[in-house]
Amino acid sequence: METHVIWWMGTALLAVLLVRGVVAGNFRKYPLFYFYIGSVLVKEAVGLLSYRFAPDFYKPLYWPTELATIVASYAVIVEIFRKSLRHSPGIARKAQKLLLGAFALTVSYAATDLLLGRFANASRAIAEAGRDLRYIEGALLLVMLWLLVRYRILLGPNLLGLISGYSFWVGLNVVSLAVLFLPNNEFSALPLRLVPITYVATLTIWCISLWSCRPEPVQPTHGAIERDYDLLAAKTRSILARSSNRLVRVMKP
Amino acid sequence: MTVLVATSVLGTFILFLAIRLIAQSGSKRPRPAVTADEYTDARQALDSVFVEATVIKRIFSVEDMEFIARSAAPAIKSTFVNERKKLAIKWLSKTRKQMARLMDLHLRLASYTYDPSPGYEIRLTAKYLTFVTVSEIVLLLVWVLGPFKATRSIFYAIRTAGGFCSTFSMRLERVNPTRLSADRESLVH
Repeated sequence: METHVIWWMGTALLAVLLVRGVVAGNFRKYPLFYFYIGSVLVKEAVGLLSYRFAPDFYKPLYWPTELATIVASYAVIVEIFRKSLRHSPGIARKAQKLLLGAFALTVSYAATDLLLGRFANASRAIAEAGRDLRYIEGALLLVMLWLLVRYRILLGPNLLGLISGYSFWVGLNVVSLAVLFLPNNEFSALPLRLVPITYVATLTIWCISLWSCRPEPVQPTHGAIERDYDLLAAKTRSILARSSNRLVRVMKP
Repeated sequence: MTVLVATSVLGTFILFLAIRLIAQSGSKRPRPAVTADEYTDARQALDSVFVEATVIKRIFSVEDMEFIARSAAPAIKSTFVNERKKLAIKWLSKTRKQMARLMDLHLRLASYTYDPSPGYEIRLTAKYLTFVTVSEIVLLLVWVLGPFKATRSIFYAIRTAGGFCSTFSMRLERVNPTRLSADRESLVH
């Protein structure tokens, strides 16, 4: 009964999120995020249909669809990356290198496991690949969050809500998956109950923060003449300061 | 079990940073943009650290203390030591504030930079942390032993401050001045 309530709540929240996204205009602003939400909704619908009408297909379908949604959730990372660093090209370049490095490292680790054939069956292999992908996602998110905090990047309320919900979901999911995959553990019942509740809580955070389209923080803009004047003044000051710096270094005993 | 610990740490860090980000974004005080004036001030602050370093070295030279010890009354000697102690503490706290301001500027300047390098970031952070640690120790030594018994540590603090400033000056070279904020008031005078 409890599982059904959570499932219906989750699906309803997904639908509300999508509808509100279209109505409020956030759909065009964060297309990759809504692509992820759409794919989760499709997965839930497929799961429900197969559970009701073709129960034999439910089990073999579960892990592949779960894996597909985990891969789709990478779209959220890309969305966060695109939106939060679009005014900071320098940091964006650095973040891109860091993210690609972390991604390549963990994918090669997961691929090695798959190639060495350490799995008893296909479902287990897919499940473990999904878990590894979630770990990579966690590592990538950690790098992104660290960059956003360290460089005090200015975020709008919509993007902040999106990041908060996503961090809450991925953070708790990573820990739950680790507990779930521990051999002979007696705690697996806890994450099994915790994950759906976390999921509904995340969807609620997203629903609230993305209910309406809120303006992004204003970036300074100037007129052409002002800009030329600033450029000239800043460059002159920079040259003067640099010259005085060199003079001091020469005079230093 | 190792995996569980590692992933628990990962998950905890994600949640911690997300909370930090929310707190940072929820702050009522908006993040001020870096102005051309602040950029120039940073350069002047760097220059002053280099100039002050030589003066400070002279102030804590043992020769002055030896001269006072030879020719002055004990009361004068005590006043002299106290004054130099106050001076050392004032200089240390002023330099620490200046370094903290430069570090803050560095973080705010991130979006104005052509291409930040991770190696440089690590070097600058390491030098800043070294200076902060050294200055804490020096402050304690000056407080307990007095300025003339802690001269070596004071000189070491001066060197670490100089090291940080040299690295920071390379950072200013890479700033794109066209992206600095147009603070009209600050550009007029």
